[in-house]
Amino acid sequence: MDILGLVVLGLVMGAVFGVALEKSRVLEPGTLVGQFQFRTFTMLKMFLTATATGLVVIAAMNGLGWAELHPKALAVGPVLIGGLILGAGIAIAGACPGTALAQAGTGYRDSLFVIAGGILGAMVYGYFKTEIDGALDLGDYGNLTFADLAGVPFWALALAVAAVLVVGIVLLERWRSWTRDLGADGTGVWGSGSDSDAAAPRGGSPAGATPHGAE
Amino acid sequence: MPSLTDRVWSPYVAGVIVGLLQIPAFLLADTALGASSSFVTAAAYVASIFDAGASQIDYFARHMTDAKYFWQSALVIGIALGAYVSARASGTLRPSFSAAWTRLVGIRSFWGRSLMAFVGGFVMLFGARIANGCTSGHGISGMAQLAVGSTIAVAAMFAGGILVASLFRRV
Repeated sequence: MDILGLVVLGLVMGAVFGVALEKSRVLEPGTLVGQFQFRTFTMLKMFLTATATGLVVIAAMNGLGWAELHPKALAVGPVLIGGLILGAGIAIAGACPGTALAQAGTGYRDSLFVIAGGILGAMVYGYFKTEIDGALDLGDYGNLTFADLAGVPFWALALAVAAVLVVGIVLLERWRSWTRDLGADGTGVWGSGSDSDAAAPRGGSPAGATPHGAE
Repeated sequence: MPSLTDRVWSPYVAGVIVGLLQIPAFLLADTALGASSSFVTAAAYVASIFDAGASQIDYFARHMTDAKYFWQSALVIGIALGAYVSARASGTLRPSFSAAWTRLVGIRSFWGRSLMAFVGGFVMLFGARIANGCTSGHGISGMAQLAVGSTIAVAAMFAGGILVASLFRRV
């Protein structure tokens, strides 16, 4: 596919991604921080569902020989230390790199500063990549997957893990329904979620939601 | 059927949709979903305004020339557009910053929150580039490929997030 085709494809895919992030409230700072505080579970539910779905479709595409896998390398130091720093940054930013853009689309203007800070962070890493990577070099085991470790075909383990995740998702939903994660006003927009047992209106029902701006 | 005018979709509907996006990503773009590399592309272009040597740095040069990164930059712009259309269609356009911040850290001014946002963005992308991926690349895509490194990255990500969020008020 040529560059123009890839750009159009990216825009369309991104738009679908953006709608999903907005409708599910995964872009909300309150959703992300609430997950890290184990008060709301919207992010985990969406993440596990996306992972399970991805496992199934990638198992199919790879199993049928339509697509190669693109696993990232197991570079121990960078994934551990980088992951820790990234997680800390997500809590302070109230966004992931992708959801910062979604926040900008919905009107959260502070996200423009998240994006600007992010560009600077990427720039600083780029200038000092050699030094940073050198300092964190604790061994690189290459593009290792759990299927490689287990010595089984990717599609087989992927489908098995997807099945386990589906069971986990069902149990998670039975333990705590997704509508409860939206908080007392039933929109999830005002962010902090609620531990109250107030019956949240069913999502998708505009009549059940308080007017925008009310808290 | 979920509709664009709905205020809320369940995280399960959203998760299935995001997971299905791996199909065009693998078959048409020959890569997995990701977001944080696009910040390197942006950083490379910004750096080359001030520093003529920036495009000589291999890491920047790669992110300015490889078609994969144009696709990903378009993807994140599409994310902003999609979120705008979604919020607009359902009447959920947001204010300048989330009320959650006042509850979590007591910030009431936009500029106070913006400073925090800038610092957060810096730390986030600095970490994502060290780890070579973010919540999308390591999280959604890495876990869906059973990548060992991505699984460790996600665990570390949660640990870092939980640690910092434990310093905020629980509200």
